[in-house]
Amino acid sequence: MAYVATRGGERAIKQSERLFRAAMGKIDAARVTEVKQALPYLVDRVMGEASLYDLDLAALALAQTGGELYEAVLLLRAWRTTQPRLCVAEPVQQQDLFTHRRISAAFKDIPGGQVLGPTPDYAHRILATDVLEGTPFVPEPVEPGAKPSPAYQPSVSAWQAKNDLVDLPKPESLHGNDIPDLTREPLLFPSKRAHTLQSLARAETGGVLALGYAAMRGYGQAHPTVNELRLAEAEVVVKHPNGTAFSAGRVKISQAEVVSKQGEKLGLGFAATMGWNEVKCISAATLDLNSKGAPKGTPTEEEFFLYHTEGVESSGFCIHFKLPHYVTFQSSLDAMRDAKAKSVDVAKEPVK
Amino acid sequence: MNSHGQLLTVLSRSDPDRIKAFAVFLIEQIGEIKVIESRTGLVMLPMLDTAGGTAFHLGEVLMSEAHIRNGELEGYGLRCGRDLEASMAMALVDLAIRRDIEKPACIAFCAKEATAQASEDDSTLRQIEATRINMETF
Repeated sequence: MAYVATRGGERAIKQSERLFRAAMGKIDAARVTEVKQALPYLVDRVMGEASLYDLDLAALALAQTGGELYEAVLLLRAWRTTQPRLCVAEPVQQQDLFTHRRISAAFKDIPGGQVLGPTPDYAHRILATDVLEGTPFVPEPVEPGAKPSPAYQPSVSAWQAKNDLVDLPKPESLHGNDIPDLTREPLLFPSKRAHTLQSLARAETGGVLALGYAAMRGYGQAHPTVNELRLAEAEVVVKHPNGTAFSAGRVKISQAEVVSKQGEKLGLGFAATMGWNEVKCISAATLDLNSKGAPKGTPTEEEFFLYHTEGVESSGFCIHFKLPHYVTFQSSLDAMRDAKAKSVDVAKEPVK
Repeated sequence: MNSHGQLLTVLSRSDPDRIKAFAVFLIEQIGEIKVIESRTGLVMLPMLDTAGGTAFHLGEVLMSEAHIRNGELEGYGLRCGRDLEASMAMALVDLAIRRDIEKPACIAFCAKEATAQASEDDSTLRQIEATRINMETF
């Protein structure tokens, strides 16, 4: 690939950036707060894809890019590189999650029961156009339960394993820096499972949905049923310099398990991400469920879906096509003209 | 809430304005301290996958860290977000407890914060309980 250097564009570039930023106007702390409060699910999505959990920074990235999600994620990933890593927390386990929403489409009577939590799933989708006429939309308050819901719920798959419905492998005992980390080592294939799940956790939501949906529609080997979907908060358990373990705070995470019949047992697919993002988790878990033995070049093959759902790389590659390709394109034109000239010459030759 | 781990957990989630105000009350009595670290940084958060039993990384959490020393004793603060003053305040309370400075006041502060946090959790969980669904199959 060849590029040609150009001169004289400095002013145009500067003005084009000004024109882009003019659309957003002044950005101050109040706007960041407004974005954070008004768009929590978008903030969650950006944090998950950026692989960086901080509500303020994610809201700022959205404000600064005018909601251009790929740019917002890129800003956050770039900013992340300026920060030192303090430590690796203890691995989060499902039964330790402070659970806000937990449903199963496979079993209605799961241990601990089902709580719908915050969701518009069962609501009519009606645009509140009265707001535009000056009537604010004020949500009705929740009527709280007489008793609190249990904060912690067991894993559905553990219950299934007890009932001999699934075979669960013995959990790994890896901790800290022993856990493979995509931000410090390359993604190679066949991928380590830790890399696959980390890559899906930071994957671009739309990309994961597109490929997951392809698998759901029949371009995969297994049709998913949601075994357990959970929106929760996870404790970030770290160590004091004297070795005492404590939680340094909670972060929102979402996770999904999907199942399908595999022989006499159920096969499981799993995915989780930072922030609350159900569609991404269900789609990613569907890809995980389908990946074993998937034919090369299909949407459910891990190399295919992991490479094509990395949002920063894919959007970066896409937008690079906007850069001047004058030399390569000119070369193509030359080749076309040459071929055309040769074909004309051949046509002029008398038939013998 | 007697263990060091429980105290730290409560302090890390305590209200930022209240813990800063409380730390100001402790500063003079603690005296000179050496600041080993006062910075923001990232804590990688792994999770255990239930399907394959694999530990994998979910992503990194931005945290503010403060690590201080007074003589042989150390105080430590680590909290979500970029508030370096709040993490320093947490480290000061930790150090004060370890040095027995205003320990009853420190324990009382933690107990009050723990009550506020429990109340907040209780309110959240009651709202969640309102969404509990009991299904019948026809």
